[in-house]
Amino acid sequence: MNAWILLPVILPALSGICLLCSSLRSHLHSSGVDVWNDLKEEERGRLHRFVGIVLVLTAVLALLAAWSGEHEVRLFELMEGIPVYFRIDAVGKMFVTFVTIVWVAVGFYSFLYMKHEGEERRFFGFFLLVYGVLIALDFAGNLVTMYLFYELMTLSSMPLVMHNGSKEAIMAALKYLFYSMCGAYLGLFGIFFLYRCCDTLTFTAGGSLNAALVSGREGTMLIAVMAMLIGFGAKAGMFPLHAWLPTAHPVAPSPASAALSAVIVKSGVLAVVRVVYYMVGTEFLRGTWVQTVWMTLTLLTVFLGSLLAFREPVFKKRLAYSTVSQVSYVLFGLSLLQPQAFTGALLHTVFHAFIKSALFLTAGIIIYQTGKTRVDELRGIGKEMPCMLWCYTFASLGLIGIPPMSGFVSKWYLAQGALQASVGAFRYLGPAVLLASALLTAGYLLPVTINGFLPGKDWKVRSGEENGIQMMLIPLAVLAALTILLGLFPNPLASYIYELAMTVM
Amino acid sequence: MAVVILLPILFGVLIPLFPFKNRAQMMFYIETVVLVNSLLVLCLLLNRPEQAFVLFRLNGNLSISFQLDGLGTVFAGIVSALWPLATLYAFEYMKHEGHETYFFMFYTITYGITLGIAFSEDIVTMYCFYEMLTLVTLPLIMHTLSREAILASRTYLYYSLGGAAFAFIGMIFILNYGATANFVPGGVLDPAKTAGSENLLLLIYVLCFLGFSVKTAMWPFGAWLPKAGVAPTPVTALLHAVAVVKAGAFTLMRITYYSFGTEFLRGTWAQTVLMVFVIITIVYGCSRALKETHFKRRLAYSTMSNLSYILFGVVLMSPLGLVGALSHMVFHAVMKICSFFCAGAVIYKTGRNYIHELNGLGRKMPRVFVIFAISGFALMGVPGLCGFVSKWNLAKAALASTHPLAVIGVAALLISALLTAIYMLTIVVRAFFPGRDFDYSSLDGIEDPGWMMLLPLVLFVITMFLFGLHSAPLIRAFTQLAAFVK
Amino acid sequence: MEFVQNFPFICIILSLFSGPLSSVLSGKKAKWWNAFVITAIGLMNIAVLAFVVSTGEPYVYRMGHFSAPWGNEIRVGILEAVMAVFFCVTMLLCMLGGIAEREEEIEESKQNLYYIMVNLLLSSLLALIYTNDLFTAYVFVEINTISACGLIMIRQNGRTIVAATRYMIMSLLGSGMLLLGICFLYSITGHLLMSNIQQAVWNLHETGMYQVPLLVAVGLMSVGLAVKSALFPFHGWLPDAYGYSTVSSAAILSSLVSKGYIFLLLKIFYRVIGFEVIKDSKVIHVLFVFGIAGMIIGSIDAIRENSIRRMIAYSSVAQIGYIYMGFGLGTELGVLSSVFHILCHAATKALLFLSASSLTEVSGDSTSFFDLTGAGYRNKAAGLAFTVGSLSMVGFPMLGGFISKILFAQAAVGHAYKMLPTLIALAVSTILNTVYFLKTVIRIYTPMRSEEKKEKQYKLVTMGQQPVKSAALLCFVALNLVLGLFSQPILTLLERGLSMFA
Repeated sequence: MNAWILLPVILPALSGICLLCSSLRSHLHSSGVDVWNDLKEEERGRLHRFVGIVLVLTAVLALLAAWSGEHEVRLFELMEGIPVYFRIDAVGKMFVTFVTIVWVAVGFYSFLYMKHEGEERRFFGFFLLVYGVLIALDFAGNLVTMYLFYELMTLSSMPLVMHNGSKEAIMAALKYLFYSMCGAYLGLFGIFFLYRCCDTLTFTAGGSLNAALVSGREGTMLIAVMAMLIGFGAKAGMFPLHAWLPTAHPVAPSPASAALSAVIVKSGVLAVVRVVYYMVGTEFLRGTWVQTVWMTLTLLTVFLGSLLAFREPVFKKRLAYSTVSQVSYVLFGLSLLQPQAFTGALLHTVFHAFIKSALFLTAGIIIYQTGKTRVDELRGIGKEMPCMLWCYTFASLGLIGIPPMSGFVSKWYLAQGALQASVGAFRYLGPAVLLASALLTAGYLLPVTINGFLPGKDWKVRSGEENGIQMMLIPLAVLAALTILLGLFPNPLASYIYELAMTVM
Repeated sequence: MAVVILLPILFGVLIPLFPFKNRAQMMFYIETVVLVNSLLVLCLLLNRPEQAFVLFRLNGNLSISFQLDGLGTVFAGIVSALWPLATLYAFEYMKHEGHETYFFMFYTITYGITLGIAFSEDIVTMYCFYEMLTLVTLPLIMHTLSREAILASRTYLYYSLGGAAFAFIGMIFILNYGATANFVPGGVLDPAKTAGSENLLLLIYVLCFLGFSVKTAMWPFGAWLPKAGVAPTPVTALLHAVAVVKAGAFTLMRITYYSFGTEFLRGTWAQTVLMVFVIITIVYGCSRALKETHFKRRLAYSTMSNLSYILFGVVLMSPLGLVGALSHMVFHAVMKICSFFCAGAVIYKTGRNYIHELNGLGRKMPRVFVIFAISGFALMGVPGLCGFVSKWNLAKAALASTHPLAVIGVAALLISALLTAIYMLTIVVRAFFPGRDFDYSSLDGIEDPGWMMLLPLVLFVITMFLFGLHSAPLIRAFTQLAAFVK
Repeated sequence: MEFVQNFPFICIILSLFSGPLSSVLSGKKAKWWNAFVITAIGLMNIAVLAFVVSTGEPYVYRMGHFSAPWGNEIRVGILEAVMAVFFCVTMLLCMLGGIAEREEEIEESKQNLYYIMVNLLLSSLLALIYTNDLFTAYVFVEINTISACGLIMIRQNGRTIVAATRYMIMSLLGSGMLLLGICFLYSITGHLLMSNIQQAVWNLHETGMYQVPLLVAVGLMSVGLAVKSALFPFHGWLPDAYGYSTVSSAAILSSLVSKGYIFLLLKIFYRVIGFEVIKDSKVIHVLFVFGIAGMIIGSIDAIRENSIRRMIAYSSVAQIGYIYMGFGLGTELGVLSSVFHILCHAATKALLFLSASSLTEVSGDSTSFFDLTGAGYRNKAAGLAFTVGSLSMVGFPMLGGFISKILFAQAAVGHAYKMLPTLIALAVSTILNTVYFLKTVIRIYTPMRSEEKKEKQYKLVTMGQQPVKSAALLCFVALNLVLGLFSQPILTLLERGLSMFA
């Protein structure tokens, strides 16, 4: 049995729980001590070493598990006929890889950053725990296992949102919880129906819907699928259940925002992919009202997200709206039910992960060094921290879709796929909206660069701000570099995904 | 068999008369009695006796008689497993309340009577023990003898006896229209006698159901349950989350599946009417829980809602429905008693009853609040814990049913799950994340309770995980039990 | 003829003459003589019961060796014997339970008057039970009324005199109607002996002659006896009478006196008119409706009462409603349930009155509920007894009330249109009973607030301090339990008795 592939799940999860217990225990015996900044320097050093080792080890194990062949592990039966089952397939491999890259980068970044936030043990505890859960989610082989880890992910990422303990943060976390659970239960509703009508709950490329069981009940089944799309789409910030995202992502500490925006929302995407392509099958959905509504919702979100980002003055919130918009690009691509669009969607999943995390890390550095949160305060920041702003610029170009950055490739595939799909007016509407959104994206991302490097004549320069933050700059630079690299050499990834697309459609 | 019922009653009555030297001796005595009884029950359940046992004859065709079948095993199993743990918890808790002798007397007697309901062979016996249950739990609610407690006990009494009065009518009809008063899988209605009066019998069934359902706090007769939150926590936890309310659910299972019979009832207007009541309660209970600021009352409303999950399964009147109902009956008992015990530990250690007073307590009582969080996850239906399994089984049953309202029932279940997530987790969040500028020195001196309270809690958590991860044998047993349902 | 067969006659004569005898004895001696007489009568009746059960047949006893239709007859069957035994036992326990009160509340000089009244009452009850002659029945009804009046009035204060007067007026009204009915019946049948009348009535029924006069006669007799036994809406006199008289009076009145009249009515239905004829007439429907109304309205009025004695009195109205409802169902089982309920109610009501008096005693002699708070802790035996009585009223399993509820319900099932009203009324009545009885039970177990305790300084009473009363209470509780748990033999006896009653 290949149970060793579960090591990358168990290791971070257990480490995370240990950190949490030690955090609780230390608080139990203290009184009157400032619980927020209670780590002495050696303790902090120990903590960082510990977390660092765990992260790297897990990353290695995870990549090893993912790329050394199609392993599967069947654990005990959760219920009659439904085991907890893991199987690493093409989709899972890809997801695990980019999750790991982002997570390690953000992890090292946060060693320095969290000094400024406090309560580090608790943060890293949940950080590691979520990592383990995410890997398990990506490895999940059947619908119930995926749902299990989906719920666990919501619950364990909530404390990351609430981290700084302000009233605002707590309300944001509760809102996150509410929307996520709402979405999860909508998903569960659909899962009950799928249980009845599918041959098996194990993920099967192309879907395992049993025509005989469904016949006569198509209407209800379609409603159930729509419910699942809206439900899992909530995690991905799709209208109508998107309202939590702009509230929760900004209020979390920046590394957590990066993790949320880059990776955790993608689990919603993963769930949608699994449901549509591996459970229900594209045959059932193509041409139905569900597809139409889905496309409408995603395009609406794309446009709305960009528009709201354009008008938002708080930097992190602007980035959050941007996430709302960008992830719906992915969902739009998925909704077209067409191989090229699918490729574009999954490409964008990976690219956006790197780009958005880079953007949020930038915002974090700015807050850490200068405490500034609003965009109009960021004049001249390029003069103070040029390296950081160059990374930011490359990432932004990627997001806008300017060649040779990676974002261009994914958008190209998306547009191609839309034009070739047989979806009526959406063939043209889709690319049009994508284009409009790209313009808006430029509008909301580039001013930072422009004002940062060219602040105007009456700007007092303060230099030397970039000293001492190498720990934070390096991960940022790595992510920006990846954006450029993948833009220049997209083919391996693109053909990998295209092959995958052909197996499921 | 009568031994296990009479033992606790007899020894319970003796409690105030025994000259105990000190408190520890009394505790030892009580715990021994309860534990011994539970072990006896366990033996009984493992070697199920085939014969029925008649205690005595009341009247021509009425007798007090006992027998042990699958359904009774499940209920007796829950009760006897949980009672010793609850008694242990109560020892610690009641240190703080007083008047312990009478409290434990009635507490122990209740054990015997609940077993009496589980082992009833026929509807008359069950009805008699049902009424006795009301009476013997009354002093427990009234325990603190405060004005609130008196009013709560009065409400409890009126509702319970009122419900029993209508259930009485059902009993009479079974006696007259049934081939026998006994509980027989599939029902006892004699087609020869019932021909022509189906509608009347359906009406009587609805009245009977509503009557017995008072004990399960179904809307609109549930107002007594939140009020009973004023009783000491061992009472609210064991009785009003486990024994009394589950006894109500048990009686409803008996009359639906073993007296009137599902073949007679399924597809009729009676089923629809009752399903409407049940679905309303599921959502109503959760909504009230959300708005409630008193800790135990919130949990009481949660119980109201969860009991209707069980009733939903019962009212589906199918084998899968019975399986779902039984699984939730067992799992909810564990989850809810765990939640209530956590709440009790908090009240015991801090005297705080309201949720807005719980800020920051997670740091001082981490074990209790972590366990509470786990029980909250279980109630919500997070996979891996037992709540998910019972919800799954109920949804499975609902979707397999042909009744039009069944899907609405599933939607109600999920809405309720969402609301449960909110009202349980907001407490956890408050406890662990009270806000940046919270003054922890206000919590000085508060700590986790002792082993007598923690041990049951830990055992419950283990059970929740066990059932969550390895429920297949149990569900298979239930499916076998329910195989007679057509 | 066996010697035993003389017993009923001896009993009646004995108690009748004890009356005047008590007037010459002093108070104390009268008390013991009274107790002795009741015991002796009780024992004799038990012997009679044994005899009749063994022979399995009723027998007729001619008094004065004049045969019918000139002379007077007594007819003894199982039912009558059971009733007589039961009444004696109840009366004995009531008298014993109320000894202490009597000594306190009645003046020295009047005490032996009390015993005269009791003896007369006993004799008239026995006569009503055993007689086979309609006119004799009427005579003893009058004696019953007068002695009951005396019992009410013996405690002389303003209220009791008003109550007694009211009782007198209503009762005489009832007696008047009864007399009219008897006269009618006599004029159309020409007989006064019950068995003979039955024959004649049957002929009339068959031939269809004198329909209206027959109906009127039956109606008058029913209404008359209904007034006397406090059926709704003729119950106005009851709460005052029971509420203000002495404890044992209230107990005896509620348990025995009204039941005596009901028994007479039963006798008239069965033996004089004949059950078939009664069923055909519409009288039983009227009784049914009034019975149900009495059940509900009696309970509603009880809820509104503030004095425990009056509350129990209103409860009697409700219970009498049950009995008439049973009659009104018009089936054998219905009548059986009513008869069983007579026994059950007698045991329970007396228990309630006695325990209530103990409770008021430890609450400064106040009957208001406010003062009764916590009384259960001050007199444990009385509290327990009151609880058992209340539970029996509510119909709690294991007690007598439950069995009678089951019997009523079973009698109702299968009836075309009377079933649902009966069952609903039973359920509603149970709920109402719960409200006022169990509320009181909770109240007596609610402890008083400490400031009030210091203020009021109520005395505590233990069982040892009042041995006789406690013993009486315990006997009633035991009686209730017996009726609840071992009802089958009693029911069999009653059934047999009913079958040979006609």
